[in-house]
Amino acid sequence: MERKGWVRLDHASNIFLAARNSRDTKVFRLTAELEDEVDPVLLQRALDKTYAQYLLYHSVLRRGFFWYYLEMSDLKPQVAPELLPPCAPIYHFDHKELLFRVIYRADRIHFEIFHVLADGTGALWFFEDLIKEYIFLRYPESFCDMKKQEREWKDQQTADSFSHYFRPQRAQNFTESAYSAFRSVISTSKKAGKLALRLGKKTSNYVFTDHLPTEKKRKVYQVKGKKTPDNRMRVVEMSLPTKQVLALAREQKTSVMIYLIALFFESIRKASPDFQETGTVSVSVPVNLRQFYPSNSARNFFLTTRLEYTYGKEMDNVTNICQKLSEQLQYQLRPELVDEKMNKQLAFEYNFPGRLIFRPLKDMILKFVNLWNNQNLTIAISNMGRVDMPEAIGGRIQQLVLLTSAVRPQFCMISSGEKMTICFTSPFIDTTIQKEFARQLTKQGVVLEVAANQVTAAELEE
Amino acid sequence: MSDCSYCKSKILTDEASCPLCGQPFTEQDLMREGRKNPYPKISLRYDRQKVFKNLMLLTIGISGLFLLIEVLWLHQLHGLQLATFGLLSLWTVVYIIISKRRNIAKSVTYLFVIFSLITIYLDYVTGWEGWSMTYAIPIISIFSILAMYLAVKIVHLEVGDYVMYLIISSILGLMPALFLVFKWVKDPALILISIGFSLLMFLVVLFFHGGDILHEWKKRMQI
Ligand SMILES: [Zn+2]
Repeated sequence: MERKGWVRLDHASNIFLAARNSRDTKVFRLTAELEDEVDPVLLQRALDKTYAQYLLYHSVLRRGFFWYYLEMSDLKPQVAPELLPPCAPIYHFDHKELLFRVIYRADRIHFEIFHVLADGTGALWFFEDLIKEYIFLRYPESFCDMKKQEREWKDQQTADSFSHYFRPQRAQNFTESAYSAFRSVISTSKKAGKLALRLGKKTSNYVFTDHLPTEKKRKVYQVKGKKTPDNRMRVVEMSLPTKQVLALAREQKTSVMIYLIALFFESIRKASPDFQETGTVSVSVPVNLRQFYPSNSARNFFLTTRLEYTYGKEMDNVTNICQKLSEQLQYQLRPELVDEKMNKQLAFEYNFPGRLIFRPLKDMILKFVNLWNNQNLTIAISNMGRVDMPEAIGGRIQQLVLLTSAVRPQFCMISSGEKMTICFTSPFIDTTIQKEFARQLTKQGVVLEVAANQVTAAELEE
Repeated sequence: MSDCSYCKSKILTDEASCPLCGQPFTEQDLMREGRKNPYPKISLRYDRQKVFKNLMLLTIGISGLFLLIEVLWLHQLHGLQLATFGLLSLWTVVYIIISKRRNIAKSVTYLFVIFSLITIYLDYVTGWEGWSMTYAIPIISIFSILAMYLAVKIVHLEVGDYVMYLIISSILGLMPALFLVFKWVKDPALILISIGFSLLMFLVVLFFHGGDILHEWKKRMQI
């Protein structure tokens, strides 16, 4: 019998397993909305082809005595109509199943993936290739003279983008593709190689301190409310012209992401009757580490930064909030600080002090670390940025959507073509925060299209 | 698609009110042509509050039934002791079956342990005659090993997935040997059969799947 390849699960991904529960499934979803109804037969063909090229996605998750590990499987993914709420659990204890699913409904293709397997950037590689393949099969007419064009596009890709250069175009072997991004980056990047040299020092401090040195710890505001009856999330999707929000952010002399976070903070303040005048709001913002340490690994490779704003100290307006948040983000993304955090994470991957702790106990410890971290967060956001595709493909895509399971109000932003999508997810039924957010945008003339899912028995009956 | 004049947004919905602010749409805003809601209506899988309420009602109902049985048939009142015990066993078994439904081998192992404990307790409260150790546990042991073997054959599990549980339950099956060592039982016939059975199973698994066990062991015990 041929024995299957397996790789021990890295620490960065372990936290997702420990923190996962039936409400916060740690699943995220990438969606592409196309022009026409999705053809399941062609989608299946596109999936088969893409799947064959990405061995990491053949993984199933298994449990050992001390560790989890990813194991190569012979399972074949099947596309399915959308019958479950967004980001429904993917990994079930004791069940050998693939850690992603491809579903479709009307003109949308959804790709849902367990965060343990890959992060947003990693998942986007697979998703992009899947959509490209599908559009290629679905609209062959627009590719008649594409052959040459596509080749040019691919050449261009390799020339000007480092991350695209590193991106796995063809299958690696399983163990290579499933290997921890933190570990594999050491072999692919000289800069990271230098880091590895300093690995001798042990670090026991897991919870990063990422405040400006002068700031004192304050109690952070937590959104409360009635939760949905069957643990599904409330999803509110807003799409808007990228140009309009870009102009608004420029007015504030800041980035779109920071501007939208500021609006989110303001929405929380306006929507919460129990919000104190001097309350502190904080947000967690993941930062893609591939921009600092080029890596072709699709595994989790990001760093979490935490930004906060305390009301009642000076003029509480969007301009001021934006400025404060920008300063904090810049501070946290200074190269030396990023290096330091990277170092800590690497030290953790290599000399984890609890290596010999029984796995369920380790899970429990991580669960507490996670709970402790949660206390310091009001909201979370995730920014996938702009996804560029060649005209023959991008022209067929109406919009992209990114959304993720959430224990607290959260939004994910992604843009393609002229359109940006901000998708809110939340464990609470109430949508006042989202309403305040929408109204702040429309008040300034932004053209907003809003869609929401149904979460209560009453909403589903109507 | 409709317009919400309060949120000043286009709303992708067929409903009569805005999902953000809850305000009903006015006549002229309602049901304009355009995009439909991309999020389908998916019925609730369960309702936490309802499930909790039903479980409570069921628990109270069963406790009442237990008390009634005690009074009418046993002509004695153990109070809620038996009822509590019965309910605990019931919910434990239900929990094991539901939570381990994806791993038959594990489910059988857990049930084996819980049933053994249940019989020991029942034996204890009914006068400690030792029937649990003499008859019940050896029988449960024989049949769970048999059940596991049949189950994994029927659903064609992969060897690697269940060898560990076969080994574990064979070892558990050897436990009644302790009853003999401590001279807790008078009639050792069934225990001897069950030990022989476990031993046989242990050797068969070791002989045919020794390599798999080693492979699984290395994987699972990785430091
Ligand atoms: Zn409204």
